[in-house]
Amino acid sequence: MWLPVLALIIGLVLGFLSEIRIPVEYTNYLSIAVLAALDTLFGGIRAHMQGNFEDKVFISGFFFNILLAAGLAYLGVHLGIDLYLAAIFAFGVRLFNNIAVIRRLVISKWSKSRKNT
Amino acid sequence: MNNKRKTGFAGVACVLGVMLAIQFQTTNNPVTRDTRDMWELRADLEKEKQRQQDLNNEIKKYQALLDDYEQSRKKEKTEAMEKALHDLKEAAGLTEVSGQGILITVEPFNEGEAPKLYPELIRRLINELNRYEAKDISVDGQRIISTTPIREVNGETYINNQPLGSFPIEIKVIADDAQKLQNKIIASQSAEDFVRENLYIDSKPQNQLTLPAYDKPIRVKYMKQAKEEL
Repeated sequence: MWLPVLALIIGLVLGFLSEIRIPVEYTNYLSIAVLAALDTLFGGIRAHMQGNFEDKVFISGFFFNILLAAGLAYLGVHLGIDLYLAAIFAFGVRLFNNIAVIRRLVISKWSKSRKNT
Repeated sequence: MNNKRKTGFAGVACVLGVMLAIQFQTTNNPVTRDTRDMWELRADLEKEKQRQQDLNNEIKKYQALLDDYEQSRKKEKTEAMEKALHDLKEAAGLTEVSGQGILITVEPFNEGEAPKLYPELIRRLINELNRYEAKDISVDGQRIISTTPIREVNGETYINNQPLGSFPIEIKVIADDAQKLQNKIIASQSAEDFVRENLYIDSKPQNQLTLPAYDKPIRVKYMKQAKEEL
């Protein structure tokens, strides 16, 4: 469990050290990509806890979601519709769902282990 | 959790971390794009040049002020030191002094064998003169300072290691109040002593007297240079 956390910290440090900054116009895309990545990560955690985790689905979902979200936002900019809101909505709802499921799973596990002891 | 799954999670987490960091940095201090056109740039350049010139002028001004301060301080210091040195030299009798005072002439009282001017007589006279607030004294062209020796060598009187000349001997005294000093000299004990030794002293007030400087080295026997405090 510690390896992903360590990787997250390494990623943060790398990002801060590299001092890469993107133009303001593209922050929307990046924020959506971040949201997609978070969604994939929590989805992966949920699947892992429910026992139906698949590596291929997880990895492909991660990149595909990011690209889809960014593409949607790009399309929205060109069509004059704030399509990135759709991505934000979809990912936000899924994020909450995933976290809720994870919470329930953790609680049930915890109460089970308390009953056993 | 198997290894493959772990590395998958780790990779996703790492990418997420990088993206988060970039997003943070971008939103906290965004890249501002320069959208000025050529004319605006030129105007801005002109403005900056003006500012640079102003700043340079200011620097120059303050530098000059600083130089001024430093110079005046140095000058003041040396001036003060020179003045102090001059004052000290004056007090020590190393400079020529002039001012109002009295001219005392010592001559034999009676014709005949020339009397001797003993060192004790001169010493007494000088002590008396000093008591009467004489400022500077010279005897026969020898300036009297605090260490001036007046003594008898082989029957001759020496002042500053120079033998006294022949009569009349002139004693020049500078004082603030020449008249008062003269009156006191006339009625002094020294005058009587001189008469007893067959000598006559005559004193005349003078508006302008010039005393020579003490020209021999001053030997300091009992003083040591103070150690400079660091």
